[in-house]
Amino acid sequence: MSSVLSSFIPAPRSRARRLLADLPLAVAVGALLAVVITVVVGRPEVFFENLIVSVLIGVAAYVLINGGRLLFLDYPDWGPRGWACFLALVFMVAPLAHPLGLHVASLILGFPTPTLDSYFTVRRASMVLFTLIGTGLMTLLVMNREHLRRTREEHAAQRLRAEVVERQALQAQLRLMQAQIEPHMLFNTLANLQGLIAIDPARAGTMLDGLIQYLRATLNASRSENTTLEHEFAAMQAYLGLMGVRMGERLAYRLALPPGLRSARLPSMLLQPLVENAIVHGLEPKIDGGEIVIDAASEQGALVITVCDTGLGLGHTDGQCGGGVGVSTTRERLAALYGAGASLTLTPAQPCGTLARLTLPLDTP
Amino acid sequence: MTIRALIAEDEPILAATLAMTLQGLWPGLEIVGSAPNGVAAVEQGLLLRPDILFLDIRMPGQTGLEAAEELAERWDGPQPFPHIVFVTAFDDYAVQAFEHAAADYVLKPVSAARLGKTVERLRALVEARQQPATLQLADPGALGSLVSQLQALLPAAPVAPMAQRLATIRAAVGNTVRMIPVGDVVFFQAVDKYVNVATPDAEALIRVPLKDLLPQLDPLQFRQVSRSMVVNMACVSSAGRDDFGKVTLTLRGRPDRPKVSPVYAHLFRQM
Repeated sequence: MSSVLSSFIPAPRSRARRLLADLPLAVAVGALLAVVITVVVGRPEVFFENLIVSVLIGVAAYVLINGGRLLFLDYPDWGPRGWACFLALVFMVAPLAHPLGLHVASLILGFPTPTLDSYFTVRRASMVLFTLIGTGLMTLLVMNREHLRRTREEHAAQRLRAEVVERQALQAQLRLMQAQIEPHMLFNTLANLQGLIAIDPARAGTMLDGLIQYLRATLNASRSENTTLEHEFAAMQAYLGLMGVRMGERLAYRLALPPGLRSARLPSMLLQPLVENAIVHGLEPKIDGGEIVIDAASEQGALVITVCDTGLGLGHTDGQCGGGVGVSTTRERLAALYGAGASLTLTPAQPCGTLARLTLPLDTP
Repeated sequence: MTIRALIAEDEPILAATLAMTLQGLWPGLEIVGSAPNGVAAVEQGLLLRPDILFLDIRMPGQTGLEAAEELAERWDGPQPFPHIVFVTAFDDYAVQAFEHAAADYVLKPVSAARLGKTVERLRALVEARQQPATLQLADPGALGSLVSQLQALLPAAPVAPMAQRLATIRAAVGNTVRMIPVGDVVFFQAVDKYVNVATPDAEALIRVPLKDLLPQLDPLQFRQVSRSMVVNMACVSSAGRDDFGKVTLTLRGRPDRPKVSPVYAHLFRQM
């Protein structure tokens, strides 16, 4: 499962990209500080110079502090030691960033670059302090933004993980439902078998064969996603054989599979809920019983399977077995596997009963 | 005197198996018939008047519970009501319900040992019945115990919230629709797929099944008194009991005399 999860969750961003991401913020803070300095000094004519100098100092400080942070302190929840390191970094960088920015700015503006001994003046020292405060604030802002981003990413990853887990649970549930054999059906079949052993042992043997074949098909379906139409029809033949013993003369059935469609592939146990509905809701509750006909045909590149019964018909569902569950589960399966490429329709049959029509893409090897 | 039993079971092999196992356990028992569905179970029950009736729960036509209810409603004459044993395949809910209702039931596939216990109990009950001197007055008999079982087993009609209750019945009469205030209705009676709405001065048919109509009525004012009849309790003037304990109602404003099913007879017992 972890391999599935990792394919859904984006890889963490590289350090270089994270460093670049907040660079515009450094430029903006630098520009803001240039405005502040110009207003405080009261000399608007030097604003442009101030802007260049300030932005470059800001960028230098940003690159040094955040570069250092990403290199050495790139983990969440710093302890007191982490914070001490971080503060030391800020204090170390401020006196470095200021001359560095000033030097580059001087080169750009064509001013004489200050030498190391002419650099230290009282005014410059106060500017270094100003840079220190500015860069400290900027860094805190950057860190805050990064924290927010991380939280968002974690949330998204969590949501994705939940979705993946939910989808897997759904698939598992579907497999379980496919494998589920209705207890009422199983126990009634066993009761018939028990009776036949005493009354007609030969028929009991035949019925047991049918039960084995049906159970094998049903239980195999929980392990494989696909089957052939031939196998699916054989499973339904076995199911109807069992029901035929139980219902006696009340049930007649016919299965028609054209030889060309025998090897057509389809999701396993797709027909079972439809045939079971026809029996349980259509024919079993009807006093005189009736007939069920299962047909397959290829129509314009599509596989069309019909299950037609002469039972009580739609609208007679007594709600005893939660009628409609089989149909809605089948529709969900079709939608998940084929999208709009498959459908299931239920219509009243003539003169009575229900016609279930299943259309899906024809898949013959 | 032989004891006569009827088996109602839609699966022929199961009916034959039950008959065979019973005869092995109780040679004196005569299986007088076998009914293949819930409707035939009632008809044959009334015709053959067995001492014991084995009723499958899931049958075409109507369920074993509904058949038992109908049989209790239509049972008449001096013969005692048959002892009923329900037969059911694996069904967790049903088994719990049967135990709760203290109903006699056997599970399919039938185990001979389990059926043997049922046979013992039935024998004791039938013998007690053949010696009237030992019968106590308070003994409710087979019908009485079935009634209390059915009261626990039959699903209660759901009751809609006040807002969804009907205030007027809209019944088509020719080209007009009559608006009948629910309070004016004396009774609703199921007739095939329709329901006959009876007021003191008129009757009208509506196309709503009784079981769909019932939840939309005030459950205190309108009570079901039999499978096909719901009466306005305010219109019941008296309830009479005949020699066999059958309850019949007299209504205000209507000449009809509806019979009360034994299942609902407790509604008309003195306080």
